[in-house]
Order: sequence, then C-alpha cells, then structure tokens
Amino acid sequence: MTVDLPTPRVGPLQDAAPKPMRLVLNWGRRYSLWVFNFGLACCAIEFIAASMARHDFIRLGVIPFAPGPRQADLMVVSGTVTDKMAPAVRRLYDQMPEPKYVISFGACSNSGGPYWDSYAVTKGVDQLIPVDVYVPGCPPRPEALLHGILRLQDKIAAEQLSTRSYADRRRLAGAVTRPAVQEPGAGATRVPVAPVAPREARS
Amino acid sequence: MTSATEQTPLRDCELDGWVETVQELRGEGFDYFDWLTAVDETDREESPGFDVVLHLYDMTPGAVRGTLLRCRVPEGTPVPSLTSLWCGAAWHERETHEMFGIEFSGFDDGTGLGMRPLLLPDGFVGTPLRKSFVLAARASKPWPGAKDPGESGDTPRRAGRRKNLPPGVPDPSWGPR
Repeated sequence: MTVDLPTPRVGPLQDAAPKPMRLVLNWGRRYSLWVFNFGLACCAIEFIAASMARHDFIRLGVIPFAPGPRQADLMVVSGTVTDKMAPAVRRLYDQMPEPKYVISFGACSNSGGPYWDSYAVTKGVDQLIPVDVYVPGCPPRPEALLHGILRLQDKIAAEQLSTRSYADRRRLAGAVTRPAVQEPGAGATRVPVAPVAPREARS
Repeated sequence: MTSATEQTPLRDCELDGWVETVQELRGEGFDYFDWLTAVDETDREESPGFDVVLHLYDMTPGAVRGTLLRCRVPEGTPVPSLTSLWCGAAWHERETHEMFGIEFSGFDDGTGLGMRPLLLPDGFVGTPLRKSFVLAARASKPWPGAKDPGESGDTPRRAGRRKNLPPGVPDPSWGPR
C-alpha cells in the first residue's frame, strides 16, 4: 500500500534566505552524503573498490554506512536494473528522505548498456527515478565515481531549493507498467512512446 | 586436457520413453538431478521441435560421473514431468515452461498451484528464449546514442557499412530505432 504524504517544504521564507545561509546549508549538505549502494551487478564491485582505502571516497564526505534508505542522502545504482527489480528500486528511492540524490553508475543503469536488446533489462534507471549524475563506463573505474561525486557536489553547492521543484522530480514508473509492444500489421494499434523528459544535468 | 562437457556422454531418447529412460538412468546410479532445460530447434529441416535436455550426476564418492539425456519434442506436445522422481525438477520445469512455452504434464511441486512462471516479472507476455521471440526494445524506446560508427552525425561522412542486426532484433518496419 502506498501512502501519499505531502512533500516537505521549507516554506516561502527559504527563498528569501540570505545567500550566506544557503551557502552554509549547501556546504553542509554536500560534504555529508550518506550513500546507499544499490549494487546489482559487477559495477557494485567498483563501487566497493572506490569505498576502500586506495580511493576512499569517505575523504569526500561520502559515508557508505547508511543503515538503510531512510538514513541515506545519496543512492548509487550500480549494475543492471531488470524489470523484475525495478519496483524495488523505485520503492527504496521513495523511502529515502528529501533531499535525495541519485548517481547512475555504469552503462547498464545509464541506459541498459550491452543488454539493451534483452527482454528483461530496464532501459536505464532514469525511467524509474530521476538521476542527478550519470557515470559512463562498463564498468567505470573508481576514479570515475569520484569524479561523479565531485560533479554532484558542485551541483549541490549551486542548488537553491526554489530552483528545483521537488514535485517535478516525481516521475511515474511508466516503463514498468507500460504494455507490451505489439507486432505491426497484426490488427494491433501501436503504443505511442511517451516523450522522454529532458535530463537536468548529464555529467 | 578435455573439458567436462566433452567427457559427458550424451544419450538420445524418444518422447514416449522419456520417464522410462530417466528411471533407467536413475537405476544405473545417476540419482542426482543437476539441471533440465530446452534448446529451440524449431528451424531444423527434419523433425523440428525443442530439445529437452537433462543432466544427471552419479555422486558416488571418488567416481563422480555425469550424463546428458536429450529428447526432441514437437512444438505444442507436453512432456511428462519429472517432479515425481525429483522434487527439485519443479523449478527447472517451471523455468523451461516460461522460457520456451513447453508444457509439462503431471507437474506437481507439492503446492497445488500447478505450472506457473518462475523468474519473469508479473505480466510478462511471451516465451523469450524461443528463436521466434522478437526483442522489441529498440521499437519501444529509441537507443540514446549511435549504434554504429557514423550514425551520431558528428562525422561528416556517412558510414557505408552494412547494418548488422543482432538475432531477434526486429527490422525497421517495427518503428523508430
């Protein structure tokens, strides 16, 4: 059962908050990203490598010990998202508190990757949840994840709550509930493909 | 060094003697059910259908040996279920059923729910491991980039090479690519 709670709002005074206050808030937010690793395939190994001593993204303020999605600020989807796993991805994203960020790590979660033609693979996790930063690669190196984290932190630093409507970020899981494509000419009407919303920032 | 597959003996049997042959193998000591699956051979010239393949082990310590049993099944013909011999065959028969559309008669996994899908998401239509299954991903959502060199438009020269479609991918009449 889904409970539709109102999106928490800071209030109209937030827009009028002085710039130093926004700077401090964003500064605190960008260096305290409790990350939650949605590891689905081999890219998760690179994520683990990035969290270990050599690359060590904890020095960037990314803390990989969130007990669950309710304590996490950042979700890193690393690996092949299948249609069967898609409802779980959406559900865990919905459980994260605002403000929340998503990094899509690797070719599979970006677009389906080499499994584009598969009958079981979702064509990119951005069909389910809004993605802030895409990290390309198959798999990306840990340095690529570090770069993606830096790009996300730049984005958070430039963020004003009034510049982004959280309600706009809610997107339905249309890819999961979409009907099957019909064979042309078999008396079937073609299912129109919904236009893909422009991505906010493709990094 | 030869691989284990080359060493594994393969036997063929007819569909009528499927359960009898399996019981015979089990009597010979092959009492460990490893896996069961199918191969789509519906495009063969003679006797088109599906090859139902069974892999069994004889787990005698120090003398482990395996065997393959293969049976050609015409399309639409149910195969006698092996769940009465091995309860664990139920998962394999359910997967073979949902992937190839092969019926298994006498299927009983103890739940009374009968034959049902195992792995595919709810509402999935089709039998994806059949060769006739169309992989319609490209028709339902455009690929977010160039598939072949020269398609992205960043180079002035059009690539003249032949487009190679992967097997199962539909032709352009299905829609935008």
